[in-house]
Amino acid sequence: MNENIINELKKIVGEDWVVTKKEVLQGYLLDETAEPVRPKPTEDVVVVKPKSAQEIAEILKLANREKIPVFTRGGGTGLVGGCIPTQSSIVISMERMDKIEVDKENLMAVAEAGVTLGTLIEKAEEAGLFFPAHPGDEGAHIGGLVACNAGGARAVKTGVMRNYVVGLEVVTPTGEILNIGGKLIKNNTSKLLHLFIGTEGILGIITKAIIRLSPQYKATATMVVPFKDRHTAVKTAPKILQSGIIPLGLEYVEKELIETSAKHLGMEWPCKEGNAFLIVILAEFDEETVYSELEKISEICTKNGSLEPLLAETSEEQNKILKIRSEIYIALKPNTIDILDIVVPISKVGEFMDEMDRLAKKYDTYIPAYGHIGDGNLHPHVMRKEGWTMEQYKELKKEIYNAAKKLGGTLTGEHGIGAIRLENLRAFLSDEEIELMRKIKKIFDPNNILNPGRVIL
Amino acid sequence: MNEMHIIVLIKEVPDMNKVKFDAERGVIDRSSAPGEINPFDLNALETALQIKEKLGGKITVISMGPPQAERSLRDALARGADRAILLTDKRMAGADTLATSYTLASAVKKVGNFDLIICGEKTVDGDTGQVGPEVAELLKIPHVSYVSEIREVSRDRLIVVSELGDAYLIELKLPGLITVTKDINEPRLPTFKDKMRARKAVIDKWTAEDLSDVADINKFGFSGSPTMVVKVIIPQERVKSCQIFKGENAVKDLVDIFEKKGVLK
Repeated sequence: MNENIINELKKIVGEDWVVTKKEVLQGYLLDETAEPVRPKPTEDVVVVKPKSAQEIAEILKLANREKIPVFTRGGGTGLVGGCIPTQSSIVISMERMDKIEVDKENLMAVAEAGVTLGTLIEKAEEAGLFFPAHPGDEGAHIGGLVACNAGGARAVKTGVMRNYVVGLEVVTPTGEILNIGGKLIKNNTSKLLHLFIGTEGILGIITKAIIRLSPQYKATATMVVPFKDRHTAVKTAPKILQSGIIPLGLEYVEKELIETSAKHLGMEWPCKEGNAFLIVILAEFDEETVYSELEKISEICTKNGSLEPLLAETSEEQNKILKIRSEIYIALKPNTIDILDIVVPISKVGEFMDEMDRLAKKYDTYIPAYGHIGDGNLHPHVMRKEGWTMEQYKELKKEIYNAAKKLGGTLTGEHGIGAIRLENLRAFLSDEEIELMRKIKKIFDPNNILNPGRVIL
Repeated sequence: MNEMHIIVLIKEVPDMNKVKFDAERGVIDRSSAPGEINPFDLNALETALQIKEKLGGKITVISMGPPQAERSLRDALARGADRAILLTDKRMAGADTLATSYTLASAVKKVGNFDLIICGEKTVDGDTGQVGPEVAELLKIPHVSYVSEIREVSRDRLIVVSELGDAYLIELKLPGLITVTKDINEPRLPTFKDKMRARKAVIDKWTAEDLSDVADINKFGFSGSPTMVVKVIIPQERVKSCQIFKGENAVKDLVDIFEKKGVLK
């Protein structure tokens, strides 16, 4: 990186917040993307750690003038290589923008982009409130979660990030600071808010978000329902939703996976019976409602062939189940080529899983599949297989995507397109839609400096 | 053959992840979080269940607390306990560990015919770890604390590993008492069916009066407590700061600070 640029960056953020040392840079080059498909980062980058939207605006003006690519980095927990700098660039790390305020009266939090999900959860609870979603790793930054419209295990009842964001502060690639929305539940004046949510940071850098919180649920419970096989479990899940109960989360896991994850954590999966499990997370404002829902769910499940459901009520036991569920990817990562992020209509999950069985047989491989069955979002893994080339893995992946598409599904539900899903994007979006996206990008970012090579080609 | 009778002593504690502290009044606001079985007591109950599965017998759980502690006893019944007794009376309120132990030991006497008492190593709200051993002393039975493993179990003795800094292998003659650590096992989850059954189960409720044939009720509660909690002090979060020293004077400045703080002389 040009010395003059580095000096200009130092003038903007202060000398202490510009990183050029090779060994320090290493911590800013990767994310959680599975290694075999992860883009190769370049080390020809300079990392800057701004403290305000004004500083970011200055950086982007400089980058625009000099036509230097910029990659924004949050918590580095992404799974599609979104923040990996693949060309000589400025990496903006949001870590210093970590202020958060909770507004108890309006049930909202105003969080800078570098606030972690863990901190948001903690601060909401300190104020007697609750952030119902759990959109992934608690080290993820709010900016990244909003930019990627993250979902997670508790999106069935109250939705994904998009459903919580009512206001944003964004710096455009040309260096303007926009304040969109506010502490308002209804707002039909500002039309741009949702353009920045889920577009993975290609239209602007999110520097602050206003996020809705909920009053704390007084009663919560997690039911683990074991089934003898995948098919029975999967066909039961939509019946729970069709009964009128909307759980906070409805997850699907399989014995081998969940036991691997528990072992990796030094824990024990509490269910000894069954090969496939539904995990139902309930949250209500009184215990009686939770119990009447549990009774109904138990009845539906046993009628559809489940084994005896187990119930976790203490927060320690509930957290343990969520923790084991959340760590499946990390436990499988050493043998994972790629973790996919398919979504299909909830009524088609069963058929999709049957297709996974068929493909596993056809390719003589193992396709672990688990995920947020309550919203049709599943994470089949393409696993390492002795002697396979990258082309063979790609072929299997393509078949999985075709299966999803045939059932009305799509490429990504919560991880985003990032860098690594671009090669399959055309199978899901029309040329016209891609062209429109390109035009929108051009309006916001005429010189294509912000997160180039991400989301659209 | 006589069946093994195991008594598990449990306490309902506030969910420590949610409970709030009133820093001004120096008290825990128990209404701020739902009550649940002390997590260590779940390990005690699981230990009892595993022994019962091996040797047969029955498990009685006893708790002292306000009427709402019934909820935790129902949880214990759902997890496999056979009988639950709640010691509840205003005269038992304000008890320190000695009065608590005396009340629990009196209830154990009244239940009678036990082989083994199991407690969690401590409670997450009190954190003393005293009640288990005190109950054993009052009942004049042998006891081992911090048991992390049971190597052998039979009708009249246990061989256990106790983690008292180092690990000790100890033989305990029964009747006796052990307190167990979290490492001893992974407590099982109850089935929903058992939860529902336990919601309708009968909980024996004993007042101070009910124990008067085996105890001096003046030794219960506040009046029987030689110690009292005057105030709970909540440690303030320390604000950490960071300073970067650079340039020619950096070393000298740092040495000055270290000397001022007494780290260097």
